[in-house]
Amino acid sequence: MEIVFQQVANGLSVGMGYALVALGLSLIFGVLHVINFAHGETFMIGGLVTLIVTSLLGVPYLLALPIAGIAGAILGLGINRLAVQPLLQRRDGSADVLLATFAVSILIHQAVVVLWGPAPARIDGLPGAIEIGPVVLTNQRLFVLAIGLAFLLALEWCLKRTRFGTELRAVAQSQFASRVVGIEVDRVNLRTFVIAAVIAAVGGGLLSPVILYSSLMGQVVIIKAFVVVVIGGMGSIVGAVVCGLLIGLLESMLGLVTSEGTATAVIYSLLLAVLLVRPYGLAGKKAR
Amino acid sequence: MSRTSVWLAGGLLVAFLAAFLIDSPYVAGLLAYALVLGMFALGLGVTLGQMGYVTFGHAAFFGLGAYAAGLMSTKFGFNFWLMAFLAPLPGAALGVLVGFAAARLGGAYFAIATLTTAEILRLVAANWIDLTRGPMGVLVTSPPLPWQTLFGWGQQQSYLFLLIIVVTLLLVGLRNLQRSPLGRAWVAVREAPDLAESLGIPTVRARVANVAISGGIAALAGALLVPKIFVVTPDLLGVGYSATGLLATIMGGKASLFGPLLGGFAFAVLPESLRFVDAARLAIFAVILLLVVRLMPGGIVSLLPGFRRNTRAPTFGQHTLPALLRPDLPATGTDVLTVRGLRKAFSGLKATDDVSFTVRAGELVGLIGPNGAGKTTCFNLLSGFAKPDAGDVLCLGQSVNGLAPHRIADHGMVRSFQQAAVCPTLTVYENALTATHRAAREPFLSALLRLPGCWRREHDRRLRAEACLGAMGLQKRADELASDLPYGDQKLLAIAMALAAQPKILLLDEPAAGLNQVEAAQLAKVLGDLRRAGLTIMVVDHNLKMMMALCDRIVVLHHGAKIAEGTPEAVRGDTGVIQAYFGAAEPTVVTP
Repeated sequence: MEIVFQQVANGLSVGMGYALVALGLSLIFGVLHVINFAHGETFMIGGLVTLIVTSLLGVPYLLALPIAGIAGAILGLGINRLAVQPLLQRRDGSADVLLATFAVSILIHQAVVVLWGPAPARIDGLPGAIEIGPVVLTNQRLFVLAIGLAFLLALEWCLKRTRFGTELRAVAQSQFASRVVGIEVDRVNLRTFVIAAVIAAVGGGLLSPVILYSSLMGQVVIIKAFVVVVIGGMGSIVGAVVCGLLIGLLESMLGLVTSEGTATAVIYSLLLAVLLVRPYGLAGKKAR
Repeated sequence: MSRTSVWLAGGLLVAFLAAFLIDSPYVAGLLAYALVLGMFALGLGVTLGQMGYVTFGHAAFFGLGAYAAGLMSTKFGFNFWLMAFLAPLPGAALGVLVGFAAARLGGAYFAIATLTTAEILRLVAANWIDLTRGPMGVLVTSPPLPWQTLFGWGQQQSYLFLLIIVVTLLLVGLRNLQRSPLGRAWVAVREAPDLAESLGIPTVRARVANVAISGGIAALAGALLVPKIFVVTPDLLGVGYSATGLLATIMGGKASLFGPLLGGFAFAVLPESLRFVDAARLAIFAVILLLVVRLMPGGIVSLLPGFRRNTRAPTFGQHTLPALLRPDLPATGTDVLTVRGLRKAFSGLKATDDVSFTVRAGELVGLIGPNGAGKTTCFNLLSGFAKPDAGDVLCLGQSVNGLAPHRIADHGMVRSFQQAAVCPTLTVYENALTATHRAAREPFLSALLRLPGCWRREHDRRLRAEACLGAMGLQKRADELASDLPYGDQKLLAIAMALAAQPKILLLDEPAAGLNQVEAAQLAKVLGDLRRAGLTIMVVDHNLKMMMALCDRIVVLHHGAKIAEGTPEAVRGDTGVIQAYFGAAEPTVVTP
């Protein structure tokens, strides 16, 4: 029984990682109506930057996270300029962005493998753990959950209470009408993209002490984030977070009864099942 | 001799020449590998090029084909070659599943679903050790092909011979499909899905069929790769092959049939010459993809002269539209459209509030009302683009309430859109031809093999497209791209397309909006002609002068409800109507 509770705690913290990546994907899809395939690599770069500044430069872990965020912002800016913004106005824009960000994701991954190497590495996060009855919860896992929730609340606040949030929601509904009322759509697009990238990169920094840094972690997380986004409903932020946690939970529960490969296959199959039964996700509405 | 037989004879000749002339087994094997990759890209291009859906997991179909053929021959002892040619079946079945799950929702979902499907299959193949031996792979031996002993060829040569024949057959079949209603439906789905639905094209079925065909071809390619690699491993289902197929298709040129084949060749030969930079191979591919997408979206074939071949419009003959319309029209006086108690609310706002009216055969009925009166919503409810909360819509006595738009078009009610909706990258003539989709049903096999029946029906469709363009005065612009037309002509083209869908009743949503005086006059003349030909028409428009002159009867909506109905004169004098338009009960008399 203890192991079940332990897996619940572990699953929730890994699920928060999926949620943070899915959140950004969902945000970008909601506003720009495109899919950023390179989003998983931004997550990986967040982990890598955290690894480099903590182990090589000796920066404390807590200080490494903002640095990872900044790295994410720069990367997001670059991806947007290289593979998203120039293609958005095309007639096949969303298909071209998918292809271009796919190419960028390969490039980022290959660059890391060549320049840094493919070997996984351990990152020391926050030390210590607390015991709740039989369950041992490391401070790092608690920290992941807390920061993840903080991000969610901050984002909600930003969307509902700030001028930028209002503009963002306007652009999400209609780019054309937003332009008409004088919103700088390109700037909103760029900021949305960068915010999503920062969340993903910090997510990578948060998760890599838990799951080990690896150059493959972006490719693994992006598919799971896709599953989360589709099940939660594309464009839905709450859906992304709730489903992220649930998928993390389900994955760690499946880990108790079956092999890792089978567990992953089951989770991927959920995506097809949901598409067949509830096409626009559990929380999503038909978007046009 | 038909084009098809010329192609087939040519393919056979090339196959014989190649098998006889190429001595080196290495060259023959490399060419065969290029053809397999080309075939894979050709299949992928059906989805990516024809329908415009990106796929990140076509290796799912490719690997499935290889595993299906491999396992059936090793585990159950069937002849490998026989199983290879049955491999398209599981591929197509998977295509139906993925296509139905995701392609009906749109490109983003489809890209995600293909990626996930390939990963699922890869994980199954890697973990189901009893069946697949996991990462070790299945060792498959293929028996010699019959013509190897017959002609005394080497193994690689006879394999190449087979592949050239298969690729030729695929090219011919796909070319035939491209020129059939099914192929045109794919393009319409890519360019304007709502328009396609309104013209009676079952877009979901067309998308599922597209993915199934694409998956079947990819599975065949996967199965035919096995004799070259001997061992079927989970890698065949991995991202590497998905990416290779995708890049080959895009680099070659996704819009044509030869593009992907060309890309497949490039990808078979390039890695051979790029061996020295093996580590950076993926990165180089990614750079190429990025460059092609940003700078040369048409791919290599777009650089070749004469790359874009349009279906040329025929020289226009003497077919008049009324003659083509007549046999299909209901008898004058029957109720063509009956609307009973139609209601629709958008979060409290009553957009359509208990509206009832009838349109009889041969009538031209106007639907007017101030801005926001609910006219377009009413049309959306009638044509299936929105579902009514309550009420019933009958077309020729049969309820069409809640049906998909293409089903309603099948009942004979076809609509046009307020904004001119046309397929921009097709010519005017191709647009009209696309719109004839439901004019004559084309069985799949007949389209694939271009049987005599297909020729006859295609001839009818051409006549119809011609006649509809002629009726709108567009015959002179038939070979221009639809996107190059001035707005007024685009709207006329949209009406021509609605006509080509063989309507019994035509619903026109603001046909005169955006037209200048001359164009509006041309439109009024056309509508008059159509009415005289016996077509039943319902029009929404703000040009009251035109409506009063043209309509037999007018229905007036205000705040979603019907406030008046009658002849133009009666409606003009109705105080309720005047109040709705001008906001005053009585005209104010100013006394000095």
